[in-house]
Amino acid sequence: MSGEYLLTQVLNGVSLGALLFFLAGGLTLIFGLMRIVNLAHGGFYLAGGYIGFATVTATGNFWLAFLAAGASIALLGLFTERALLRRLRGQELPEVLLTVGVATVLGDLALAVWGGDPKSVDPPAAIGGTLQLGELPYPTFRIFVVALAVVVGLGLFYLERRTRLGAIVRAGVDDRETIQALGIDINRVFTGVFIVGSLLAGVAGVIGSSFLGLLPGGDVEILLLSLVVVIIGGLGSLPGAALGSLIVGLVQAFGTSELPQLATFIIFAPMALILILRPSGLMGRPI
Amino acid sequence: MTAIALPRAVSPGRIKIGLLVLALLAGWALPYVAGPFAVATATLALIYGLFALSINLLAGYGGLLSLGHAGIFGVAAYGVGYIASRTEGGYGAQLFWGMAAGLAVSLIFGVMAMRTRRVYFLMVTLAQGMIVYGLAQSLEPVTGAENGLTGVYRPAFVLEDWQFYYLSLAVLAICAGLIQVVVRSPFGLALRGLADSDTRLAMTGYSVVGHRLLGFVLSGFFASIAGILYAYNNEYVSPSVAEFNTSAQAILMIILGGVGTLSGPVIGAFVIVFVQNVLSLQIERWPTVMGLIFILMVLFARNGFVGGVTRLWNRYVRRREEP
Repeated sequence: MSGEYLLTQVLNGVSLGALLFFLAGGLTLIFGLMRIVNLAHGGFYLAGGYIGFATVTATGNFWLAFLAAGASIALLGLFTERALLRRLRGQELPEVLLTVGVATVLGDLALAVWGGDPKSVDPPAAIGGTLQLGELPYPTFRIFVVALAVVVGLGLFYLERRTRLGAIVRAGVDDRETIQALGIDINRVFTGVFIVGSLLAGVAGVIGSSFLGLLPGGDVEILLLSLVVVIIGGLGSLPGAALGSLIVGLVQAFGTSELPQLATFIIFAPMALILILRPSGLMGRPI
Repeated sequence: MTAIALPRAVSPGRIKIGLLVLALLAGWALPYVAGPFAVATATLALIYGLFALSINLLAGYGGLLSLGHAGIFGVAAYGVGYIASRTEGGYGAQLFWGMAAGLAVSLIFGVMAMRTRRVYFLMVTLAQGMIVYGLAQSLEPVTGAENGLTGVYRPAFVLEDWQFYYLSLAVLAICAGLIQVVVRSPFGLALRGLADSDTRLAMTGYSVVGHRLLGFVLSGFFASIAGILYAYNNEYVSPSVAEFNTSAQAILMIILGGVGTLSGPVIGAFVIVFVQNVLSLQIERWPTVMGLIFILMVLFARNGFVGGVTRLWNRYVRRREEP
């Protein structure tokens, strides 16, 4: 194993982790507040990616793709939360099952509209090419994604810990009744958090479209990785999602390059270990 | 898990036995009155019905909904397929390894999922199922990846579709009987107790983890039988057996028919399999239709068919008793 190989794999792992954080961060926030595991999150990702692809194909503008995907998936999130999930508020299992239904519909509609051939989006020239890291040339786009994930992660963390809105969200996690008694409309907070999570998933779709490609079944694959991230990190914990993303990204990068046939199996190992030793995840609260 | 309300078994036993006899008679008569397409479709419904029953054993009574049972179903099918196509082992070896693989995976999954509850349990089992699917697709030497495993053949005595239909019917009837025994046993009661309140059961000295694990492995046992039947019925095993959709569809069958009932999942399986086989000839977008049914059922009819009928029946009985 040469140093260059190691560095490449580490960078691949970190950038995949960055992509996963966009999904896992949203999943974990939504769960922390609403106790909903949104299994349509993978569908949101894939739909966002395809909308981004369509935007780039139509306008040639990558930044517009970000905007279009983020906005339309945020709207989709608004609809899912307001029109569907709200009717089942507080009923854990039906809520999850509902999102299974949404995921099935989304995946199939994406297949109907965009077909089964892989699609991908090229990043714009400004962040296209490669960056020279010492001796090693590395795609600039992936480094851009890592930087974006760090900024978004810190932003979310700041929002959650330091602002009034974050305080409301945290209080909502702890005690829904009391916060409502204080005159805060918790339903609006729920909707807001769900929209933020969906928006991040949509944006992640555009990012994913240019470094993993878009394919039917991609929704399930990314959902699996995101689930493993939140299981490892601990449901509801933002720092846990960050740490979990990094771990899963690295394990996945080394796994796919060393033992491609067993790659899906290898991420099983850290998950199994965590579940047996610490079922609530590295940074989650006891369950 | 209060979400899955068990419909109260108030309807008199005699009616139930009568309905059961009727169902068995109808099952026996089907090949005489229906064409080959209906028989083949019904066979599939019986197999998926058994698979749905295995998930329901855990979900309807133990309050633990597994989203990854297609993994167990698939591993058992692959066990049969691997022995049949790669080692040319006989039927004894195929059955043995199919079941052994299914049980081993159930045990491993069970041990991992045991200490988790509720939504965590959902996520863990979902990830487990997806991992089996991923392996099925990538582990070419064992699973044949996308090409799947061919070379699985039905034993001589069930070569014809109608023969295999009767075999599936018999296996389902026996398994349903066994599940009924399990549910009625002290173990079954403890399992239901766990669903209501595991802390209370732990306080009274029950091993929560032990009961859950046994429940999981038992459920895996029935899922494996369904997987083995599937492999022979299809005479081909491909990654789609372990797909998440296979689990989701089975859960839809349970919801449609009635969670926590014995007949519900089988009825649900017949409805879904027949609707799918008829609709997929006409419209291409079956998964969309399935997803929409899923959403509508969850939103508006969570007690399912059997739950709804039981409720109506109870209302009728109550009205008669209180004039």
